[in-house]
Amino acid sequence: MRHIVFALLLALLPSAAFGQGKATVPDPDPELERKTFIVAPGFEVSLFAADPLLAKPIQMNFDPQGRLWIASSEIYPQIKPGEKANDKIIILEDTDGDGKADKTTVFADGLLIPTGIAPGDGGAYVANSTEVVHLSASKPGEKADKKRILLSGFGTEDTHHIIHTFRWGPDSHLYFNQSIYIHSHIETPHGVRRLNAGGIWRFNPDKTQLDVFARGWVNTWGHAFDKYGQSFATDGAGGEGINHVVPGGYYLTSQGPHVQRVLHGLNPGSPKFCGLEIISGRHFPDDWQGDCITNDFRGHRVCRFKLKDDGSTFASREQVEVIKSNHPAFRPIDVKMGPDGALYIADWYNPIIQHGEVDFRDPRRDHTHGRIWRVTAKGRDLVKKPKLEGATVAELLEHLKAPEQWTRDQAKRVLHEMGKDKVLPELKAWATAAIAAEGPDRDRHATEAMWVAQGFDAVVSMPLEVIMFANSGRPELRAAAIRRVALTPANIEKNFSLLKERIRDESPRVRLEVVRALSVLHRADAAETALAALDLPMDKILDYALWLTVRELEPHWMPEFQAGKLTFGGDAKKLAFALNAVGNKDTVKPVLTLIDGGKIPKENLQGLYLLLTQIGGPEELAKVLTYAGTKDVAAPQRAEATNAVEAAIRNRKVTPPKDVAVLVPLLADASDARAAALRIVGLWKLAAHRAALEKASLEKELAPNLRAAALEGVALFGDANAKAWLTKLVSLENAPEVNRLALIALAGLDMPTAATKAADFLIGAKPEPELLDLYAAFLSRKAGVPALAKALAGKTIPPEVAKLGLQAVRTSTLTVPELVDALTKAGSLGGARKPPTADEVKAIVADVEKADAARGEIIFRRKELQCMACHGIGGAGGQVGPDMTSLGASAQRDYLVESLLIPNKAVKEGYNAIRVVTLDDKVYLGIKVREVGGLLVIRTPEDKEITIAVKDIAERGETKSIMPEGLTDTLTKQEFADLTRFLSELGKVGPYAPSKARVVRRWQVIDATTENLNMFRRARVSAAAEPDNTFVWSPTYSMVSGDLTLASLPKFTVWNDTAAQSVLRFNLDVTTAGAAKLKFNSIVGLTVFVGASPVEPKAETLLDLKTGVQTVTVLIDRSKRTEDLRIELDDVAGSPARVAVVGGK
Amino acid sequence: MFLSATFATLILAAPPAPFEFKDGDRIVWLGNTLVEREQRYGYWETALLAANPGKKLTVRNLGWSGDTVHGEARGRFDYNNAEKCFKQIVDQTLALQPTVIFISYGTNESFDGKEGLPKFEKGLAKLLDALAPAKARIVLFSPRPFAVAPSLPDPKPANEKLALYRDAIKATAEKRDLRYADLFDEKPAAGTSTENGIHLNENGYRETAAAFLLSLGYESTGFSTAQLEPLRQAVLAKNEQFFNKWRPQNETYLFGFRKHEQGRNAKEIAEFDPFIAKAEDEIEKLRKSLTK
Repeated sequence: MRHIVFALLLALLPSAAFGQGKATVPDPDPELERKTFIVAPGFEVSLFAADPLLAKPIQMNFDPQGRLWIASSEIYPQIKPGEKANDKIIILEDTDGDGKADKTTVFADGLLIPTGIAPGDGGAYVANSTEVVHLSASKPGEKADKKRILLSGFGTEDTHHIIHTFRWGPDSHLYFNQSIYIHSHIETPHGVRRLNAGGIWRFNPDKTQLDVFARGWVNTWGHAFDKYGQSFATDGAGGEGINHVVPGGYYLTSQGPHVQRVLHGLNPGSPKFCGLEIISGRHFPDDWQGDCITNDFRGHRVCRFKLKDDGSTFASREQVEVIKSNHPAFRPIDVKMGPDGALYIADWYNPIIQHGEVDFRDPRRDHTHGRIWRVTAKGRDLVKKPKLEGATVAELLEHLKAPEQWTRDQAKRVLHEMGKDKVLPELKAWATAAIAAEGPDRDRHATEAMWVAQGFDAVVSMPLEVIMFANSGRPELRAAAIRRVALTPANIEKNFSLLKERIRDESPRVRLEVVRALSVLHRADAAETALAALDLPMDKILDYALWLTVRELEPHWMPEFQAGKLTFGGDAKKLAFALNAVGNKDTVKPVLTLIDGGKIPKENLQGLYLLLTQIGGPEELAKVLTYAGTKDVAAPQRAEATNAVEAAIRNRKVTPPKDVAVLVPLLADASDARAAALRIVGLWKLAAHRAALEKASLEKELAPNLRAAALEGVALFGDANAKAWLTKLVSLENAPEVNRLALIALAGLDMPTAATKAADFLIGAKPEPELLDLYAAFLSRKAGVPALAKALAGKTIPPEVAKLGLQAVRTSTLTVPELVDALTKAGSLGGARKPPTADEVKAIVADVEKADAARGEIIFRRKELQCMACHGIGGAGGQVGPDMTSLGASAQRDYLVESLLIPNKAVKEGYNAIRVVTLDDKVYLGIKVREVGGLLVIRTPEDKEITIAVKDIAERGETKSIMPEGLTDTLTKQEFADLTRFLSELGKVGPYAPSKARVVRRWQVIDATTENLNMFRRARVSAAAEPDNTFVWSPTYSMVSGDLTLASLPKFTVWNDTAAQSVLRFNLDVTTAGAAKLKFNSIVGLTVFVGASPVEPKAETLLDLKTGVQTVTVLIDRSKRTEDLRIELDDVAGSPARVAVVGGK
Repeated sequence: MFLSATFATLILAAPPAPFEFKDGDRIVWLGNTLVEREQRYGYWETALLAANPGKKLTVRNLGWSGDTVHGEARGRFDYNNAEKCFKQIVDQTLALQPTVIFISYGTNESFDGKEGLPKFEKGLAKLLDALAPAKARIVLFSPRPFAVAPSLPDPKPANEKLALYRDAIKATAEKRDLRYADLFDEKPAAGTSTENGIHLNENGYRETAAAFLLSLGYESTGFSTAQLEPLRQAVLAKNEQFFNKWRPQNETYLFGFRKHEQGRNAKEIAEFDPFIAKAEDEIEKLRKSLTK
């Protein structure tokens, strides 16, 4: 046997030796790099500029003359002591129009890591570390000699988070972004603006007005506007692809008062992206217009997404890449359309990215190279570069009609800089004529005119205003007009009557803009108007927008509502929405009135009861328990409501109601509601139900979770009787399961006794996985570790039982040498694991070279390794750890080896864990999800969200990774190398590249357990397709290729003479109803249900889908089918449907 | 001849007695953008050095944009609550062992108007109590008034609020027997001193250097701006080195919750000290060579 246990690896060398690892610094010849590009059919890539014309580009933007301005940094990631900051802004020019830069000008130097650049106002706006500055040159064409600090106070906690992604908006405001670690505090004449996390800023330099346009994301390194001014963003560390930005919306990792709900990107399961541009103009073919281009900088790909309307938002679908490559230093990080209609890509050119995981001073870091690539369509004419500099107002206005957004945006910029007095009179005449002309582009011209006027804080003319709001035009124009109105409260005030009309607009996009615009108007009737959106169909984004607006306006409508002045037209649905959104204690009474009024639609009732558990006192909880104990409430809802009551008692310390008989039906319930009810008896110390608890704890044939609940309930009484009862149950005459669960409960009550009895129990215990829970009961309490270590002294326990103890220690990620020693001795085990040396890592990396990725994938999927319990690929899998979709494309192999062996060494941003000890001495570990309203929510290593009341926290601190050490200890040397090889191939060009196909990757499967089999015998196999079925489903995932391996699926035979079956299901999220199709690799042996209705499977199965999450159930006759299963979702031509495959765990 | 009320106040008020600096004083300067940005221009600091011939003064500028007496701008990813922010401002100051502390707050707090005054007064008192262990001589500066600018067509309402905070600072200074330095009653900055109405630009710091000195009781340095230019350049060089040390980029990895990854590079931060010391030597050399 060649089992190599990495635990036995030798002593640790100084860690500085790492990073030298397997240095692959490629030959920097641009032509060699270009040859690795696989380019989209019909396109070609040429070199526009390369070092030494530029080095280390970070952001680029064109000016109206067509010159390319580049912010670049050779100092990144960190200035050295004594070093003079000398980073540069350079200007590249193609003076002879041959598609190659032939002139480079250093516009500014002496900067410290400038991360953003936007030419304008006679110079350029530049992100200079803590500041936004405007640089200009006294003599045109020369170096900048004037510097104005416009804003200061931006944080610098991470040099790839500091303000970045400068972009002029259609409103002539400068938009720029900051990333998650940054804390910014900016003084403006209108107040101090603070943003203590990621987000997008909106800045009006003419008036020093600064606002937060949207919140969240980890690294919003891409932001672009479409031709009507809708905003899109990409995230260089989040994995949700293209994000449609709702003004004021909160996205992943937001900070602020309304973090309870966040918005998501349009492509969950994507790799991380940098930069964003929208294709426009005659040089590109028609089917590329409006497509989003962004960069998978880790996977060396330039990606393309197609957007389509989907209710109030968009659906986004990945297309064939613009460029893909396996060149290790090709790092596309910015993308912009150019003056000639071609697409320009900034290539940061570096084999090393990131400076968290890889040393600041790693010698492989490149500090001198950089490229700008130019993508052109073969056989299509380029666009003639427009002459904007020195053009007349009339000429510039005509340029607003150009098919190229580049030309329109730059013409707007030039017009803005010419000033209001010069432009406005001609603009009015131009707009009037353009609108009178009718024609297909009329509304686009109207939009441009509106934005130009907006830049001067003016309107074009009243007739135009009216047209913009009229039903006759395009909804995109109306949406833009409302976006414009929302820029200032005064404007909204003036247009309030128009907004009241438009809240009933036929377009959900327009209604979305109205709902968000109203949040700026601080009046009670603004909330009332927004809620009128509920009279027309809603979708997820509209629901979110309305929720946010109602919350933001609460200080303005709540007092009026309480004074009886605001009634929402007596509409119970609107009132329920508003109260639910706000959810504070002021709303208890109105919620009760609503429930008792009996006019609430049934689908809203559960929500209101759940709301009561968040805001109500004892009698309100009694009301919820009464509701939950009613038989006509479905089982999952009964459990949800009872669990919510339990959470209220734990987190808000709500005391018992007068009448505790309301618990009686729940204590006899057959659903999971009973478990919560049993614990509630203990939490409230209800003497009346104590006997029922004790009886339940000894019930035969009781599900383990219910017995555990009963015992926990007993322990929660916390008195001598409870101790006596549990001590009786831990006596070895009882069944081992009773012993074990009683020990767990006793640990919360009497640690010394529990530890002593546990040590006795372990002597004769079987090495079952359930023992992990017993160990966890000690590990999760501060006093538990020393107590158990002491109790184990001198005892002998089976080695396998002791190993489970060590496994539990690793899972806890605690450092508890005394318990590790005690377990090692009691179990007569060998020495503890040690971190690998640099040489050992090197040796393993050499093995990886020869290893097999396909075998590695199988290892990755092994249940006992638990990889997929925490990590997703392509969005399918656990969400506790980082998604691995393009891991191999960014992570060096030495880094992978170290991360597997020493998970704590380098932790991806956003995945650092926190450790919390509560007042009752319990220890919790997890990733912080949010903290708001005195409640901390963390995601545990088991991928569960748990809520802890902040005032119950005695201690909290950062820990490192929640990935347990030693997960790979049982692998052979070869297996370990194979696994690493597989991870290192993820995201690279080849069989493990990210897939654009919408393949079903996340499945649930029915395990062949006795309970499941019995249920099948009572019903029939197709019962699995029924919505309220109570089978136990487990997650399973497709291979990276998209195939689901049949061999790995559980199968069962219901009756002796029938064929073996496997039963699977997956979910589709339908946001716009209509036809879509499923493409099967083969339909042999399949029976398919959508919801509970059977569907005849065909190679291309047409589905007519309703809005909402739909479940597709697949029965597989294993006697007929041996082939693996692959199902892909696809569009049906002409169908309005917007459907996505649901990923996750 | 008719004198406007403001002008009359200016010339009738007796200039305050000079605040006495001692040879070897270590001045720590706390405040918001006004203070933070001064380190980029250095006119005030240079004037202060030049007005004190024969004394070695070192200045450490801990100004932070958006900051308040509560240290609100000093939060971090791993600690962003009121208690920790306040602890930062105190720890950062005490660590430098100051003998003199300049405190320049009130501008950001003033946006809360009259309602916010009690919170400001309490916060200022708490800060002064917390800084007491330094046993330093403390100067409380008033805020500067806002000026008319395209970004601020009418500064009057803001200035009325600012005056309330100025009064509160002055009252605190009197109550605690601390030096009060008035930057408020000077003539509102002219058009070229500020672009946004609330912050001084380079020209603004140059033009107000005299008013700054006067607030501390010094009539003039006796030197022209041109004569002081080499000294100012040396001050800027020192400030840049010190800024890179005390507010380094990538703090998350050097000292924050990800220090287990790049914390090994934190040793570089101490390597700024010799560069700062060298810059101080240069300042000292240039200060001594100043001759009238």
